[in-house]
Amino acid sequence: MSIGDNGSARGSIGSGLVVENLHVAYGGVPAVRGISLEVKAGEAVGLIGPNGAGKSSTLLAIMGAIGRTGRVLVDGRDIAGLPPEKVVRTGVALVPEGRHVFAELTVADNLRLGAVGRRDRSGYAEALEQILTMFPILRDFGHRQAGLLSGGQQQQLAIGRALMSDPDILMLDEPSLGLSPTAVDTVFEALDLIRGAGKAVLVVEQRAEFTIAFCDRTFVLHDGEITLTLKPEDAEKVDVLTKAYFG
Amino acid sequence: MMSQLIQSIVDALSAGATLGLAALAIGLVFGVIRLANFAQAEIITGSAYCLIFTWDLGWYVAIPLSILVAIAMSLLMEFAVFSRMRTANPATLLIASFGLSFLIQRVYELMFSNNVRTAPVASGLAQTVEFAGVRVQLLSIATIVIAGALLLGLQLFLTRTSQGLQLKAAAADFKTARLVGIPAGRVIGLSFALSGILSAAVAFVLTVQTGAVGPSFGVQITILALVGAVIGGIDKISGSLAGGFLVGFATSMLATWLPQEMSNFKDAFVFVLVIGVLLFRPSGLLIKGRGVART
Repeated sequence: MSIGDNGSARGSIGSGLVVENLHVAYGGVPAVRGISLEVKAGEAVGLIGPNGAGKSSTLLAIMGAIGRTGRVLVDGRDIAGLPPEKVVRTGVALVPEGRHVFAELTVADNLRLGAVGRRDRSGYAEALEQILTMFPILRDFGHRQAGLLSGGQQQQLAIGRALMSDPDILMLDEPSLGLSPTAVDTVFEALDLIRGAGKAVLVVEQRAEFTIAFCDRTFVLHDGEITLTLKPEDAEKVDVLTKAYFG
Repeated sequence: MMSQLIQSIVDALSAGATLGLAALAIGLVFGVIRLANFAQAEIITGSAYCLIFTWDLGWYVAIPLSILVAIAMSLLMEFAVFSRMRTANPATLLIASFGLSFLIQRVYELMFSNNVRTAPVASGLAQTVEFAGVRVQLLSIATIVIAGALLLGLQLFLTRTSQGLQLKAAAADFKTARLVGIPAGRVIGLSFALSGILSAAVAFVLTVQTGAVGPSFGVQITILALVGAVIGGIDKISGSLAGGFLVGFATSMLATWLPQEMSNFKDAFVFVLVIGVLLFRPSGLLIKGRGVART
């Protein structure tokens, strides 16, 4: 697969991420209550909702970073019991909230680390070149400490690092958090390319209108449950957005 | 006076290097699994016993064996105890390491008795040499060279190899490292193994210094190393190293320059320095900001 050649989807119908009846609890307090969703290859799906709705918990549970019940299928394979580092090797990558680049390491080293989870080592150089083409700033600042980059640049690095593992499914937790409007545009243009290249994209966001317009489908979460499913054309319907956030 | 000053600086550099290595051994493991391993004292002691008991076989047998013993003990502690406490908080892990430390000390007592065991380990290094009127113990120079070589090797490993880079990333942010695909078990094992190697180096220097090893041989330096790691910034590998070096350097200088009647209070002065640092830099000298929260 090539990230750069816009529109050349590689995923076949039926491949992607399937979540069935997902439950997460912290110390007995439920955070996610029976969520089911599907993200197909070449599709972007959004998760929106107020703080504490269970959006980030959903992503972390899919990654195996927190305990869960329910089924998570990646390209048809049940990934129950796998720790995060092994989930990455099934073709799932997460760009965590707050970016979490390795601040003291260089941009180049951050990208190298992203490749640790690759299933196919032989495509390393090609993948790196595609990412540097998508985010030229990472090429320019390859030897700079990641912690010295701006928020938008760090977000590009975090996405680039995740892509270095060559995931079929890319999940992003609030990629626009703390970014300028220009930086947000850059990030979502890249996500559009990634979707166009056939990857399944699952994005958690606070910017409801923006997310609904971008994603093929957007689920609204309230108290750990999906309460509404929205289409791109719902993005400008104020009553729908109000209902999404205030019930 | 000048020669005494230079001599004391060389001795202090040597003491700082030893404590820096011990603190670095603690910081490497802490960075990855949030464990301030007090039982590192027993790894130092075990490695030192090995030197004492095998020195007659030749240094080329004793030194590699002592390193292997330290690595094996370190990995065994991880496997038998700490790997079963992954979700425990740092305070619980610290208490567990205290318990493990006391347990192993009792085992040493049972195996080797309370009496110290002695051997002329690298006794040639106890000699002093004179450069331009300055008398310096060979061991001080050897310690500085050993520490420098280990630090250079570690630096090359951490920056030039994929495994080292993974360890560095895991020490900086373990949760994110796992989300990126870095295998948790491998980097944890690696951090314990490296910690074992550093502990073996500390054991060698201390054994040459004293020539005698008892069940609590490694405790004193481990306490100081923990203190050093905390004041340097245990959250950061370089912080632990710098803090350990600072405490070792200061302790040695105070031992030399404090008036005779105050020399018994040398440790009190060191801890005043520690309190002062922690009052103004509670997260450690090399950590920016006040918090050390990890998400």
